[in-house]
Amino acid sequence: MPETPALPRRRPHRRSLLAALGASGAAAVGLSFGLDGCSDKVRRGANGEDAKLNFYNWDTYIGKDTLKDFRAATGVDVNMSLFANNDELFAKLRAGNPGFDVIVPTNEFVTRLRVADLIQPLDHARIPNFGNLLPEFQTVVFDPDRRYSIPYTWLVLGIGYRKSRVDGVPDSWKWLFDSDRYRGRIGLFSEADDLVRLAAKYMGHSVRNVPESLLPVIEAMYVRQKKHVRVFHEDNGQDLLLSGDIDIVLEYNGDIAQVMQEDDDLAFVVPKEGTLINSDCLCIPRGAPRPDNAHRFINYLLDAKVGADISNTIMYPTPNGAALALMPDSYRQNRAIFPPKDRMAVSEYGDFEGVERTHMFDELLTRVKAA
Amino acid sequence: MAENVEEPWTQARGMFASLLAGPVLFLFAFLLAPLAIIWGYSFGHTQGLKDIVVDGTFANYAHALNPLYLSILFKSLVFAVLTTGICLVVGFPVAMAITFAKPQSRAWLLLLIMLPFWTNLLIRTYALMAVLRTQGYINVFLGFLWNSLSHLVATAHLAHLAPFQPLDLLYNNFAVILGLVYVQLPFMVLPLYSAMDRLDRSLLEASLDLGAGHLRTLFQIVVPLAMPGIASGVLVTLIPSLGAFLTPDLLGGVDSQMIANVIERQFKAANDWPFGAALSFLLMYVTFAAIALQSMFTPKRGRR
Amino acid sequence: MAETQRPPRPKPGPLDYLARWPLRLWVAGTVVFLYAPLATLMVFSFNNSRRNIVWRGFTLDYYAQVLQDESLQHAFVNSLTIALVSTVLSVILGAATALLLWRFRFPFKPGLEGALSIPIVVPEICMGVAFLVFFTKVVPWPTALPWPLNLGAIIIAHVSFSFSFVASVVRARLASFNREMEEAARDLGASEWRTLMDIIVPHMRPGLFAGGLLAFTLSLDDFVITFFTSGPDTITFPVKVYSMIRFSVTPEVNAASTLLIVITVALTAIALRLQGSDAGHDAL
Repeated sequence: MPETPALPRRRPHRRSLLAALGASGAAAVGLSFGLDGCSDKVRRGANGEDAKLNFYNWDTYIGKDTLKDFRAATGVDVNMSLFANNDELFAKLRAGNPGFDVIVPTNEFVTRLRVADLIQPLDHARIPNFGNLLPEFQTVVFDPDRRYSIPYTWLVLGIGYRKSRVDGVPDSWKWLFDSDRYRGRIGLFSEADDLVRLAAKYMGHSVRNVPESLLPVIEAMYVRQKKHVRVFHEDNGQDLLLSGDIDIVLEYNGDIAQVMQEDDDLAFVVPKEGTLINSDCLCIPRGAPRPDNAHRFINYLLDAKVGADISNTIMYPTPNGAALALMPDSYRQNRAIFPPKDRMAVSEYGDFEGVERTHMFDELLTRVKAA
Repeated sequence: MAENVEEPWTQARGMFASLLAGPVLFLFAFLLAPLAIIWGYSFGHTQGLKDIVVDGTFANYAHALNPLYLSILFKSLVFAVLTTGICLVVGFPVAMAITFAKPQSRAWLLLLIMLPFWTNLLIRTYALMAVLRTQGYINVFLGFLWNSLSHLVATAHLAHLAPFQPLDLLYNNFAVILGLVYVQLPFMVLPLYSAMDRLDRSLLEASLDLGAGHLRTLFQIVVPLAMPGIASGVLVTLIPSLGAFLTPDLLGGVDSQMIANVIERQFKAANDWPFGAALSFLLMYVTFAAIALQSMFTPKRGRR
Repeated sequence: MAETQRPPRPKPGPLDYLARWPLRLWVAGTVVFLYAPLATLMVFSFNNSRRNIVWRGFTLDYYAQVLQDESLQHAFVNSLTIALVSTVLSVILGAATALLLWRFRFPFKPGLEGALSIPIVVPEICMGVAFLVFFTKVVPWPTALPWPLNLGAIIIAHVSFSFSFVASVVRARLASFNREMEEAARDLGASEWRTLMDIIVPHMRPGLFAGGLLAFTLSLDDFVITFFTSGPDTITFPVKVYSMIRFSVTPEVNAASTLLIVITVALTAIALRLQGSDAGHDAL
């Protein structure tokens, strides 16, 4: 796919964070230890809240100038800090919100956070841009009527592979989970939930409510397959693929599309059995110090122009119809970003099914690894 | 070594109290108190998603004693012991070299050993991966040597060598041990250096003068004198290796799961803090038992 | 400190092991082992590619990016501040603990020794969660404090895990102390405190230095515990970097690490020089 545009999810961005921290004097030069106060210098906005916002996001998951533009438009400084995965986000919020106003959990964690009462309902009256979203994203199974979450991007798991080292297109989970054809060159994602669900999908079940009777079958399959697997990776599968350590790997479309741009020999496919769809969403955690700014920020991100700017930088699929309309064909026609309709039709969102299931799946993976 | 007889605290109450106050206060307020909470959790269970009810249950410990987890614990122990052994063998000569170096160069030599460790562990691990991977520097270098050799052999019409097969240096248990040694080495060298520095040189010189070889002197004089340093080095190397999770995660293969990986998952992905706490404290009980056993079998320093 | 004044050796004496080739080779091998990956890292900080894997030409762009990335600089400053403060505190507490355990016999001594080994024994993640709960539920650390007071929780956490490492190193050092020196000093009329400061502390110096290095290293490199104790305004370098490279290492991170190494080496070199060459020799 030579037309693949860059998907630099980890692209560096320049933000005026220190201004937001109010400590610009302190650290403008690497080593000058200034002692400017923080709290006393933050201005107040017209809504009575401090003109500041703590945004907890994935790395390079925002437009290049989005935060700067938001400050220009509203006077609110956005302080963005980063987390590496949902588990960290959840663990961090679990004991109490240390001061975040907007967070970006993935769909399943939207449910988890809601069940745990760690996020608050949104006030749709303050998010007029909601209408910009494509209809299929305006209400979803994991959050009917979007009471708690606003979709930011979506992504799918699939197979990344090195074209010259595999036969044809490996468009079935079989090649990862249940075959020795690529022995010693396979990389699986070290995520218990994903492995169990995709195995169920491969066996013809839904990714939701995987029957307990199927779990031993899945476990036996992975134990069998383990000797052909080179590595259980930690979401760095695209690097392993690019470096030639493995030739076929379970990864997210966006991550593989990133390395496709470095190496023409790499490709991504959603298997014919279908896959798990994920969606990263904007939420406001309980105890957010500045809920009004948070709503304004979420509404701002839903703006057509702003959304298009973000998509132009991060190149992830957008649920924002108005923004999509502004995007060039090179983005809209990209098969790694937007997998074929027939494959999407057989794909589903995962669901949070209670802690017991989480523990069960986790122990299954522990047993597979120890076998 | 001079006789080291401890004096009863009543002989110097003022100094005893002032030395005691800071550490004990800190220990109780900022270490034991937070850990006590987690220790409490190990006797509880998760209710819903975030609340933990401490009801005095031993279910978590019972679960942790499941053969599955014991076998993982045992394997981690083997990894940690191997790592510590290698660190000791590699680190001892280095510490000795630093100890007997010229005073001006000692600080710099120590810095030289510590410097790599001021780089983030994750970055260092990724850097190590770049060296070890299939098309990493070691394999590229070996491949170059092999191809040159095979070219030579071919031009001499001797034989045709098979094409170079890259070594599998990553994603296996070897890589995990290597990575752990890489991470833990300075934690071995520092205490060794600290204990050996200024050990009584006259003893060594006497031994050499009396005709004992360097090796004999090493094993009969230096090693016994450095014993406290070795013990301290083993402690600060062995136990953190047991608790390593990033190294096996990134360098290990499908069989390299260590106990800390399991513990980490309980606190994150599995969201089962009570079980994670029980596993952590089980690890702690085992370590304490090992330390107690070790001190029972080692003669007291004062009596030597 | 008569012990420190060794006669100068014009040529390698029998104990000058570093002058012997087997040991030289050994040290050199170890250094290569330690530095080969780092050298790669530094070289690739000049690589003109988003990835670390293939060399695509020389560039300084990533250094420019690091120098413009204010949040990264802020994390830098936070990390160095935390490391410096927690090292000083750890060395003081660790030295006091080591002296206490070495010098005195008292009830509950085994208990104290056991408690001290806890930070070494408990898995990091468990400590991290302990501090998370402690600093959000038991003693909520105010998040709105001005810099650097908002780093307090992180500094406390770092000291509490590193001071027992320092104590362990210093205690190993004290084991080689000759008590007769102390007795001699006291016989000559020196007070308890004078003896401590003039005789024992100088003897402890290599241990203090080694322990301080250890504490500094532990603090500067700590991710797990810091992650759980940091808030939106108190990001440290490892926490920042960890979230940036969980998926892959970029040259920007390499450049930042290279700079961090250069800065810490420079600071340490200055500190060593400031101590003066004489004091420096004495300290080691």
